[in-house]
Amino acid sequence: MTTTSTQRAAVERLAPQRPAPRKKRNWSMAGRIVLLLIASVFILGPVLWTLSTSLRPPAESFQLPPSFLPLNPDFSSYDQVFKQLNIMLLVLNSALVTGLIAVGQMFTAALAGYAFANLKFRGRGALFSIVLATMMVPAQVTIVPVFMLIRGIGLSDTLLALILPAIPTAFGTFLMRQYFLGLPSDLGEAAAIDGASPWRTFRSVYAPLAMPGMAIVGILAFNYHWNEFFRPLILTISEQNFTLPLGLVSLQGNLGTGSISVVLAGVILSMIPALVVFMFGQRALRDGLTAGTGK
Amino acid sequence: MAGSNGKLREISRRTALGALGAGIVGATVASWPRLTGMDIPGRGDNSLSIAILGTAADAAARQRVIDAFAKVHPEVKVKVQAIQAADWKDFFTKILTMVAAGTPPDVVYVATEGAQLFAEKLAHPLDEYLRRDAADMKEYFADVHPSLVEAFMYKGSLFQLPIDWNAANMYYNTSALQQAGLERPADNWTQVDFRNSLAAMRKARPQDFTPYYWTNRLFGGVVPWLYANDTSFLKESKSTGGEWLWDSFYAQDPSRGLRSGGYQWLEPNADDPRVYESFDYLRGLVKDGLGVRPEEGGGNSLVGLFASNRIGMTPAGGYWVEGLHEAGMKEDDFDVQFFPRWRTQRHQFGTAGYAIMKTAKDKDAAWEWLKFASSLEAMRLVFPTPNTTPARRSMVNEQLYAGRGPKHWKVFYDTLDKFPTTGPIPAPPQQAAVETALMKNVSLAVSGDENQLKQALASMQRDLEIALRRQA
Amino acid sequence: MSTATTGMSTKRRNGAGSKRRNGAAPGSETTGRQRQRWLPWAFLAPTILGMGLFTLVPIVASVVLAFFRWDIISAPSFVGFDNFAEVVQDPTVRVSFLNTIMFVVVAVALQLGLALALAIMVQEKLPAWLRVFFRSAFFFPLILSAASVSIFMRYLFNEQFGVVNWLLSFVGIPAVPWLTTPAGSAAVVILVYVWQNFGFSFLLFIGGLASIPTETYEAASIDGATGWRKHLHVTLPLLSPTTLVASVMAIINALQVFDQPYVLTRGGPGDSTRTAVMVIFESAFQRLEFGQASAIGVILTLIIMAITAAQFRLSKRFVFYQ
Repeated sequence: MTTTSTQRAAVERLAPQRPAPRKKRNWSMAGRIVLLLIASVFILGPVLWTLSTSLRPPAESFQLPPSFLPLNPDFSSYDQVFKQLNIMLLVLNSALVTGLIAVGQMFTAALAGYAFANLKFRGRGALFSIVLATMMVPAQVTIVPVFMLIRGIGLSDTLLALILPAIPTAFGTFLMRQYFLGLPSDLGEAAAIDGASPWRTFRSVYAPLAMPGMAIVGILAFNYHWNEFFRPLILTISEQNFTLPLGLVSLQGNLGTGSISVVLAGVILSMIPALVVFMFGQRALRDGLTAGTGK
Repeated sequence: MAGSNGKLREISRRTALGALGAGIVGATVASWPRLTGMDIPGRGDNSLSIAILGTAADAAARQRVIDAFAKVHPEVKVKVQAIQAADWKDFFTKILTMVAAGTPPDVVYVATEGAQLFAEKLAHPLDEYLRRDAADMKEYFADVHPSLVEAFMYKGSLFQLPIDWNAANMYYNTSALQQAGLERPADNWTQVDFRNSLAAMRKARPQDFTPYYWTNRLFGGVVPWLYANDTSFLKESKSTGGEWLWDSFYAQDPSRGLRSGGYQWLEPNADDPRVYESFDYLRGLVKDGLGVRPEEGGGNSLVGLFASNRIGMTPAGGYWVEGLHEAGMKEDDFDVQFFPRWRTQRHQFGTAGYAIMKTAKDKDAAWEWLKFASSLEAMRLVFPTPNTTPARRSMVNEQLYAGRGPKHWKVFYDTLDKFPTTGPIPAPPQQAAVETALMKNVSLAVSGDENQLKQALASMQRDLEIALRRQA
Repeated sequence: MSTATTGMSTKRRNGAGSKRRNGAAPGSETTGRQRQRWLPWAFLAPTILGMGLFTLVPIVASVVLAFFRWDIISAPSFVGFDNFAEVVQDPTVRVSFLNTIMFVVVAVALQLGLALALAIMVQEKLPAWLRVFFRSAFFFPLILSAASVSIFMRYLFNEQFGVVNWLLSFVGIPAVPWLTTPAGSAAVVILVYVWQNFGFSFLLFIGGLASIPTETYEAASIDGATGWRKHLHVTLPLLSPTTLVASVMAIINALQVFDQPYVLTRGGPGDSTRTAVMVIFESAFQRLEFGQASAIGVILTLIIMAITAAQFRLSKRFVFYQ
């Protein structure tokens, strides 16, 4: 009680100073910008250091004070990466795996999300809970049976072994369901009155509107699987089937004899494709997560 | 107007989506062989499959060996699978997944870390083949030190032929030594001399420098200090048997009397006073700022730090030469000496060689590969650069280290010849569990007070007991 | 109004939507109904079949496996509850579960706190280009792989030569033994994890904040609420649905942490950074005790489910639906 009244008193005392808010706001904005800048230095600093260290010979890698800007770039570490790894094949594998998973997830999640959001059927709630619950099971728990299953289908040590199990997505289904729930529900009614079948309603009314949502699912899937380490570690055997993160590990060399610059060059190289997708996808991601279709 | 415009847009969007869809389908179809692995040569045929720890970079050297083998044995088709892995543990995991997938390789390149695991569960003994081809094999064994061979003996049978190996010697930075006014240490320097050199280096360079850098791992971590102090974290015993091998190949060897049917590590030994003594010594180095607290995991910082003159000394083997060369170190910038002496000057080594799997379809062909791979011809093709130490004494020569250093490369093989008790990495069949039990307690043991050390060793003893009780 | 991710007004919408839909198909009652019966399943088939095959079957299989001793090489043998008994008594397993819970509490609190604070700061009045810059910067670590992040963070946290200790030396803090002491390692694992993952929560909060109508704030400022108080009384309650989603996801993710401690510290020193999932990995793929690994996995999964259920129950009390 007392706090609220003192608060109110405080507010009232502040109230007469209304003419000043502009200045005050500027100050608070400046303060915020400083804080945000500090935060971004902490976030981007390590990445800059990685970039600049990868562009220096290993003997200079532990320079202190550290230099964050590669002024005299030395690309020999990158040559080394290309020499040690068949990086084109690694990229092709990663792109195939990640791309197909992303596309597969977009479509299956859109279909399932639509069913959970807009169609009525018995056991919907229970089924949806089960789907969500699968998110809670760590991959490490199921990897051995998945592995045996893959063997049973005859897909051992293939890229499909990485792709197929990753297509059904609980999180993507969840996102798409939320997305469809966010769309105005009278959209479908109009179509239904026109005599359109539920499938056509989905395809021509809902699916086009759900593109941003599907884009989010696709981008998140890409991001996750591009960097995925554990499943490929277990499920692929031949080096011809390796994805980028697995290939990078071998840069560390036997007993860690690899050079830090080469390792970091590999890290930077593997970053590039994800960065490109991120730059193109960032807007969709932000808009999708931000606003739904609320505009 | 607006309507037709909208329709147009609708149509173009449909076309775009259709094109996208067709593109995806097309790409999938086009890459079908890649997706199903059908484009990998030799897949599904019954050629002899050989798994090694390595990368695409080794392909050239490997291919030359395969070609050379094909000339001798045109009837055997060979395919080598390079398996990339962070360390041997990861590599063995991969092999086991291949076993689980029903596609085990016929031959696997296995290091000491996995020797007994494979001998116990997966590998086929070589005894009968060695007896049969004894005449052919005499030359090989004459060129390979028996300590290496003994590391692959298990319960009286031999499971692998050593191809390469490394001992934990002491590397030092020449300029750091000079700055401290020190000479190259004597061959029989002691742990006290070692500490004094570190102190001198510390005095000469108080900043931005570490006299002794070491990492926490099974090879080159605490174990060399335990061996030098005539102890280990596991009680070491030897099984009987193996005379058949020693008598036929090493009858004249001065160390013949030491040889056995293989090492056994059955009991933990972390409560041994000498283990405490060794740990306490390392703890002293850490406390006085002469050595770092050891990190667990990969030692990638090492090359960069050493090459940038920030490290005085560090334990490593012959495998390190190529890495330092690539990092830009000249041949005079560093050198190598034996590990310091304590109660003994026993060193620690690790070795590796091919093992034939029990499940191998054609064991005779597999043996032919093993035999060929151990020949001088094949080994010269595999080891053009010193990124490991060849098991053959005759190959550890001037030529291998020319232009790379170190000046005293003879130290590498002398480690075996001068110290015949030099022993392998302790690796019972439960190696993974044992390694974890050791490593997880090292940092705590060496970076606190005496009480913390005692506690750490007590928990190491307990963890090792649990680990050894496992069925592996 | 409602947003894609925070659409917690689900119930209301559903109710309204289905009611209307039922009334909206007057012409083809029977065919419509028949079609409706199988139609949802056609939509669901890819997901449900895929999940059944690649998730549910493996889950059941690993529960079964928990009652066997199996090393992949020889045939499995039934051992009843032995695996569970051994696992429960294993001090390493116990410590790693405690570690995991500690990790989740600290990491998730930091992750959500940081994400929320930064999201609020970014969403308030800012030049547009700066807003874009900050958003991208904070999201950036997410596009990296946890393994490679851990690789370069190891160098930065090196005791003697790392940049972190070098920076700290300016504030007079002597070299911190980051990766070689229990407290230091735990701190590094948490910092590196939060560094990489807060961006996702940040993005969710941005979405949640954008969905709060500006009129609400205007009303609040008329009432005299300013600055932090405004956020405390207006933003936080209105954001609670987002917070629920963000925290559920953060907790589920954090409970499964593996890459960071695996690369940074290998679980050490001692068992100080060993996590539950690491123990599963080690016992399955390094020690070949697949039965025991499954037993640990079953226990971990039950714990995760219990925590999530508790969260949703708690949320009924604390989450404010717009």
